[in-house]
Amino acid sequence: MPFKIYGFPPSTCTRRVALVCKELNVPYELIPVSIPKGEHKAPEYLKRQPFGVVPAIDDDGFTMFESRPVARYLVAKYGKGSTLVPDPKDIIATAKFEQAVSVENNHFDEPAGELFLQLVIKPMRGLPKDEERVKTLLATLNSKLDVYEMVLAKQPYLGGDILTLADLFHLPWLYGLTEKAKLDLVTSRPNVARWYQEISSRPAWQAVKDGA
Amino acid sequence: MAILKLYGGKQASCTRRVATVLHELNVPFELIEVDVMNGAHKKPEYLKFQPFGQIPYIDDDGFILYETRAICRYIAAKYPKSGLIPTEPKANALFEQAASVELTNFDPSASKAGLQLWIKKMGYTYPTDDKVIADHLETLEKKLDAYEAILSKQRYVAGETITLADIFHLRYGVYVTYDGSESDNIMNRASRPNVARWYNELVSRPSWLAYLDGVKTTTAY
Repeated sequence: MPFKIYGFPPSTCTRRVALVCKELNVPYELIPVSIPKGEHKAPEYLKRQPFGVVPAIDDDGFTMFESRPVARYLVAKYGKGSTLVPDPKDIIATAKFEQAVSVENNHFDEPAGELFLQLVIKPMRGLPKDEERVKTLLATLNSKLDVYEMVLAKQPYLGGDILTLADLFHLPWLYGLTEKAKLDLVTSRPNVARWYQEISSRPAWQAVKDGA
Repeated sequence: MAILKLYGGKQASCTRRVATVLHELNVPFELIEVDVMNGAHKKPEYLKFQPFGQIPYIDDDGFILYETRAICRYIAAKYPKSGLIPTEPKANALFEQAASVELTNFDPSASKAGLQLWIKKMGYTYPTDDKVIADHLETLEKKLDAYEAILSKQRYVAGETITLADIFHLRYGVYVTYDGSESDNIMNRASRPNVARWYNELVSRPSWLAYLDGVKTTTAY
């Protein structure tokens, strides 16, 4: 039975899961949950995802939600030989991977997501931008990417020498901010640019970047 | 082998999170206080180890690691029998789900309201904003309604046994109660008996009680 993703094709987190499915050649069926129609808040959907956000998955009866854990589950179940998550027996590589995953979540995700909201979503909905907030968010994101530049000067990927989920998790927001919001976050940062160029040109991302 | 060194602050929330897990697993550690008040965490010598300029980080016999949840996972990985990170595939997936829920649904509002409530409780002169606190607590109320639905079906956030995902809630989970009385606060609402049950069990754990007055070097258990 195919892996089912209950999601919204353009959504960041739905694309994040679809990306990992493509990376591992896991066929999936996308069951649409329309955000504009509020289907993610309907009682039947809340039974799948009590926080009322997309996506949720159903893998032959095993259900779960939260895009990053779903990605980890996909690698654990379907990624035999995949290095997207280090072997748990390698405690040091795993710790560095967890550090990188935590950095994406704690330092990158919030300012990136809110900037995307201010610069792309709000104009789409005819809502005014909050210029002061945008200034603050840009300052924060730029300071974080300055650290990324330093880290990526010493190692090819955020977790160390091997590409992992920690790198791929950045794709939806970075793509949105550079291609849709037209922010220049990488040209002044050669190592970030090198890293972003590599991860964004992967066929798996190219396949889902504009919709899962 | 050198003792694990925890570079952080005695009263700092994230330092406390790591210390709680070290205590759960009876791991001896030395607390080395970082002079945050005087900006030690922003100086080049510190940034070499923690490039984002935050506390804490650890030095485990030469291995440097930062990000508290990564540190806690690293320590738990060294003691797999503790069960704090389940290894069976589906249990592990549900643990990861719960850990992600803490990060995306609990921490953003709990940390922002909680930090300000803690500042007010401690009487620090750092400015706080009651409207910001109220807005974040309002968000958190809705999140906790979802937690109530989850915890009505299982004992802990990842299933029937305690995991790191529960422990990650501790510091800010306590801070947000500073906006209420002992018996009536956001974690102890009568309308959410399962959240209250789960929360009160967590704060009675010896690993939490051990550092009520602040994190300290612990060499024996």
